[in-house]
Amino acid sequence: MYLPSDSTSLFAGKSFLIIDDFPGMRSMLREMLRTFGTKNIDTVTNGKEAIASLEKNKYDVVLCDYNLGSGKNGQHILEEAKYRGLIGLATAWIIITAEKTADLVFGAAEYMPDDYIIKPVNEATMKSRLEKVLARKEMLVDIERAASEKDYGLTIALCDKALASSKTNTTELQRIKTSTLLTMGRYDRAQQEFEQILAKRDIPWAKTGLGKAAFYKGEHARAQQLFREVINENPAYLEAHDWLAKSYEASGELEEAQRALVRCTELSPNSVIRQKNLGELAHKRGDLETAENAFRKTIKLGQFSIHKTPVAYLGLAKICSENDNPAEALQILKETCKEFESAETSLHAKVVEGMVYSKSGDLANAGKISAEVAELVKADDGHRSSSVMLEAAQMFLATGNKEAAEDIARTIIKNNHENAELLAQVNDLYSQAGMSDQGEELVRKSRQEVIAINDRGVVLAKEGKLDEAIRLLSDARTLLPNNKRIMINLSNMAVMSMRKNGKNGDMMLMVNECLRQVAKLDPQDKWCAQLQIALDALPA
Amino acid sequence: MDKNKEATPDISAFLASAVHDMKNSIGILINFLETNLTELGPDAQSKATPMLYEVKRVNDNLVQMLAIYKIGNQFYPFDLTENSIDDFVREIVEQNKTLLDYSGITLDVDLDEGLAWYFDYELISGVISHALNNATHYTKDKLLLSVKEEGGELVIRVEDNGSGYPSSVLEAGDAVSKGVDFASGSTGLGLYFSSMVAKLHKNCGKTGGIFLENGGNLGGSCFILRLP
Repeated sequence: MYLPSDSTSLFAGKSFLIIDDFPGMRSMLREMLRTFGTKNIDTVTNGKEAIASLEKNKYDVVLCDYNLGSGKNGQHILEEAKYRGLIGLATAWIIITAEKTADLVFGAAEYMPDDYIIKPVNEATMKSRLEKVLARKEMLVDIERAASEKDYGLTIALCDKALASSKTNTTELQRIKTSTLLTMGRYDRAQQEFEQILAKRDIPWAKTGLGKAAFYKGEHARAQQLFREVINENPAYLEAHDWLAKSYEASGELEEAQRALVRCTELSPNSVIRQKNLGELAHKRGDLETAENAFRKTIKLGQFSIHKTPVAYLGLAKICSENDNPAEALQILKETCKEFESAETSLHAKVVEGMVYSKSGDLANAGKISAEVAELVKADDGHRSSSVMLEAAQMFLATGNKEAAEDIARTIIKNNHENAELLAQVNDLYSQAGMSDQGEELVRKSRQEVIAINDRGVVLAKEGKLDEAIRLLSDARTLLPNNKRIMINLSNMAVMSMRKNGKNGDMMLMVNECLRQVAKLDPQDKWCAQLQIALDALPA
Repeated sequence: MDKNKEATPDISAFLASAVHDMKNSIGILINFLETNLTELGPDAQSKATPMLYEVKRVNDNLVQMLAIYKIGNQFYPFDLTENSIDDFVREIVEQNKTLLDYSGITLDVDLDEGLAWYFDYELISGVISHALNNATHYTKDKLLLSVKEEGGELVIRVEDNGSGYPSSVLEAGDAVSKGVDFASGSTGLGLYFSSMVAKLHKNCGKTGGIFLENGGNLGGSCFILRLP
């Protein structure tokens, strides 16, 4: 009854990559695969060789040891391979590890391996896991493709179909379905699904999901309660800690948020993103010691990771400056520009450099940098992140460059006229510089200008003058490429116009551009999903 | 900042990396024994077979200590997933096949087909492998692994036709199921681990547990794991 199944045909045509630093393990794994009937097997010993092999060849299955000595670990290689598209959706990635860790089991869904095998590896386990993973990959490949192409309607339809027709992989299908519902902004639907699952059994991912739905609906207290319940039952459930921190931060309970983040970094000591989040939050709270530690760790851990981020370098430079250590701050800024060759990062580094000089009293250099940044910002296409712009405004004010400060502040306000938090930050900057009246006036006037344009557009549209309304807002969008409200209103009008006059290539292009930009500015924006549905519903 | 803090060795890091190394070596040893026992003459084979049991014991102990350490410190990523019982049993049986074959022991399996249950795969696999490895050592020539749903619980039994548990082990098992302190030693580790794992599994106000009995279907010892 339990004779090993004959699956030679399953393995014979598949190509395998083995990544392991230990020669004994490599040859053992290779022998196992040969016994299963596999002929096409490559072996490599470290991350560098693995990436080189993955760049050259397509593999059906990757068997990857987690701990590869110094350099990249197995998780790093997987993340890089996925991030750079070196493996397709059909590639099965199996991590082999000596111990089960929170990162491995509860890590971010988009970077999870398809399975993990705990050592010691034996032939029976290996064979049975490979068969199971390959069957699951085959079943899920269409769904994963739809999800990666952001075709949410299709993703859900395919999940429903699979759930109705088969009893296998139920959990995985439910997870994909509910997370898609959350991405679409259909929180009530998602909540119903989670509640149905929980009625049968208390499962941490479903309860965490329920908490996420509450969070997105703005019910922070309820969300926190749910995340805490998950953690009580399951103290190492990483995702609940992450979300608890996020939810405390959103409701302004920063001390609690930091405590939750510290616990996250204990459970997941190698996560670049969590260290970065801790650094940012601690810095925001003025806990410089924790922030400094976290940023240093982020930099160290980021060495081999695609999650390496300039945020940690710039944050550390600011902290050094705040601790009256301008020499190290400048040194770090130099490193930042060497490590990250992007215009955005080098501008940001220059802004921080200006602040460092200003703080240390080197007014000559501060003025020089301030003038350089002013030139760079003037030549800007308006697509810079508002946080960098805000820091630039602060630096201009600190270095006495009032005109540049006002220009940039106006751009920030007009692009974000409904973002209360950001507007308050602009006000803060001005009051810190002892110019609160000018600040308030600037915010009020700039906001009013955008509101007027928007209102006129809406009135025109209501009067049926859609073409005119679209022209007006599309001109406004050229001037204010980051204003969400303008993009959303413009897209809505374009959809209305196409509903009346049929699809139009230029308009489709414009709406898609707007949707992409809004999603980039605010990945949680619920309008995007709704507009996408309206767009999909347009007759061909 | 206290710079001296960095100088204190982090025992958990040593522990993790030592376990990592040991598990590599044990894996290779087990694999070597399983693939090469056939090539030995009958006499050498019967002498070498118990070595497989010993290596597996070392592995079980490592797995148990690491899990107890991590669960105790709230670091164990308890992964409650729905598992196919057919697959679970097939994997366990195949893992233990070599040792059973060479020891001349027959293992019968009795299960509700098509059953699926929620549990942490590695932990439950650790508990049942350990029970089977134990039973292999103490049985005469027969083992029975049964997995059934009984009254809303999953019940896994490992039974043998040996002479049964000595009374000290039964008492320890009884103490464990009642939640009191019990005998130490190597019996203690396995029991403690199994009971800890069982208790982590909860559902709708019910908690898992382990029970030791003598008798059962084969007349020997009987290890029972119940999961809600």
